[in-house]
Amino acid sequence: MDHHLASDSPQVRPRWRKVAYGGMQPGFDDNHTDESFLEGMVMNANVVRRDMLKVMLDSVSISEYLCIVALVVLVWTYTLESTIDENRLLCIDVSLLVSGFLILLFTREKISLSILVHHYFLNISFFIMGLYVLAPIYQTLTRSISSDSIWALTVSLLVIHLFLHDYSESTVNAPGALKNPALTSCISVNASVVASVFIASRLPSRLHVFAIMLFSLQVFLFGPLVTCCIKKYSFRLHLCFSISLMVVTLSFVYMLRCLLFVLLLSLLVFVNVVCPYWLIRIQEYKFEINGPWDEAKLCFAIRD
Amino acid sequence: MDRKKYRIMMVSDFFYPNFGGVENHIYYLSQCLLKLGHKVVVVTHAYGNRSGVRYMTGGLKVYYVPWRPFVMQNSFPTLFPSLPIIRTILIRERITIVHGHQAFSTLCHEALMHSRTMGYRVVFTDHSLYGFSDAGSIHMNKVLQFTLADVSQAICVLHTSKENTVLRSGLPPEKVFVIPNAVDTAMFKPAVVQPSRSEIVIVVISRLVYRKGADLLVEVIPDVCRLHPNVRFIVGGDGPKRVWLEEMREKHSLQDRVEMLGAVPHAQVRSVLISGHIFLNSSLTEAFCIAILEAASCGLLTVSTRVGGVPEVLPDDMIILAEPDPGDMVLAIERAISMLPKVDPQVMHHRMRELYNWHDVAKRTEIVYDRTLKCPNQNLLVRVSRYLYCGVWAGKLFFVVMIVDFLFWRLLELWQPAEDIEEMPDLTLPHISNKETLQKTE
Repeated sequence: MDHHLASDSPQVRPRWRKVAYGGMQPGFDDNHTDESFLEGMVMNANVVRRDMLKVMLDSVSISEYLCIVALVVLVWTYTLESTIDENRLLCIDVSLLVSGFLILLFTREKISLSILVHHYFLNISFFIMGLYVLAPIYQTLTRSISSDSIWALTVSLLVIHLFLHDYSESTVNAPGALKNPALTSCISVNASVVASVFIASRLPSRLHVFAIMLFSLQVFLFGPLVTCCIKKYSFRLHLCFSISLMVVTLSFVYMLRCLLFVLLLSLLVFVNVVCPYWLIRIQEYKFEINGPWDEAKLCFAIRD
Repeated sequence: MDRKKYRIMMVSDFFYPNFGGVENHIYYLSQCLLKLGHKVVVVTHAYGNRSGVRYMTGGLKVYYVPWRPFVMQNSFPTLFPSLPIIRTILIRERITIVHGHQAFSTLCHEALMHSRTMGYRVVFTDHSLYGFSDAGSIHMNKVLQFTLADVSQAICVLHTSKENTVLRSGLPPEKVFVIPNAVDTAMFKPAVVQPSRSEIVIVVISRLVYRKGADLLVEVIPDVCRLHPNVRFIVGGDGPKRVWLEEMREKHSLQDRVEMLGAVPHAQVRSVLISGHIFLNSSLTEAFCIAILEAASCGLLTVSTRVGGVPEVLPDDMIILAEPDPGDMVLAIERAISMLPKVDPQVMHHRMRELYNWHDVAKRTEIVYDRTLKCPNQNLLVRVSRYLYCGVWAGKLFFVVMIVDFLFWRLLELWQPAEDIEEMPDLTLPHISNKETLQKTE
């Protein structure tokens, strides 16, 4: 391949070509930078442009989950102080179960009564039976551990749970779900279950233990599924539900302790207002670079 | 014109007895520079028992510094403790230019840092392409920014590599020279007797990993075998994806049409290549791909994926490019098969001798060295203040690191003065003096 022009005039030099073969290109130094330099570079191709209002509305699901966890901790505190006795707790459990089922029935398009009975009802009954049978084990599990360690562990486990929780979709999926849950969401579910077990082990009687375990597991395992279904069904319903939940939680926490109320309020404000603003501000500095040097993406599924 | 002779120190973690692109580059470049009359010394870390000073062909002196490799053939990053030994070697050999290779080599970065502290001229060659988005690349790019903040000139092996390096390090493009690798055409000659064209043989030699496109091979080979009954494949190389290739062979009953050779030692690559007509490269990312040059030098027509710098490497009548998609690659192989009757391996080999030549690479590198020595040597504060531009926090950290390095160097000058380090006299090799006596007796 010849890149020397068969030219008569010595002033016309051949065009610079972006090739590596053939040695030094005549008339050009090796550090010659052409106008075509960096023309294959693509900037910010995959960046999503975000709107402040949308980000704030999306962050409502995070604060909704924070309130749910706050309510669970509230119920735990009241149970440990014996403000709520076991019968009341059992009533709470049953009402939560029934309302959860009703919400699922009304909001999922593909569900029918037969699926409800066969899949959910049977599984839930086995689940409850198993919990009741295993309650004595939980009761004596941490008898030799001091209370301080239990509170410290529970708090750290809940923090891990909140940190690693999958806020976009639920880990426990309804039948017919395609994607497998990610590692971090499995870790968060496990953390919440272990925290519930620790709290349950501090309670006096078997019925107490069973009731609190049922309550905690209902909320942690099925709560995300229910909120996910509400969100998918209607955004407005989701918004109303979240705001009412926040109001209810804040009032209950206020009745318990003022300091915790202030903390929870500031956390909700931080998540809902400060973080979206921060995100929008630093998005301006995003500089994503793609070009011919990137590894090619295969268009078919590979096997490992 | 009597050119000035330089005393060059090549430094990298990657050298013989390891085999690879960077190792070959350093070795061949050093040999050609030695032939041009310069003095070259190579510094690398110890490989197993191979520690100390060794002499290779042509009087190439190699310092195997006694450090153990830490991960992926890199020595453990020790920042300041490497200053004494680098200083000793630089003074002992009376080095004028330090040439570092490969951004992934910790020894290279440290040696360049210390050389700049001591005021030597520094050239850096980058051999790979890196991304920008994953954690490893981000850290690597920051380290590269540090090293290249004060380098005299930089060399990249392809124009795509130059764009990548300029973006990663923030160097001005005028400081980056593009000097490609070359191939030892004397070692890769086509077969004296060509294999018969009645059965077309396609050769694949690569590590069978995801990056090298082994998954594409699994999709492409059955389609090609189905469409062209006279085509045979030879697959050399080993890796985690070999299992899938074997499975593909079994599934489509291609045991007699696809031959799996396993890992091919470098000395036998030529004999595998000359048994074929077409070379297939299916990598998903490739900085330079010497394998393509070796295949072209042996007279094979190349079919490759259009990734990285591959489009710049060979002219259009010696390579056929395809997108990294199985359908497109099958079409490209068909085009190659139809082009095969017009291809003459000997002609291709002679053309490769013109297109790629290590002596040409050495001459162009010499020009870079000339340019390096013309750069004014600024005083310490001007040089070190360049590091402040590396970033808000990183800049200040790098500044402090360089100041500490400078103070350590001054301490060493007091403690172990340069006059006490014995300078190495230049050796004259016996084969040169033998040639002279032969000429005298004739």
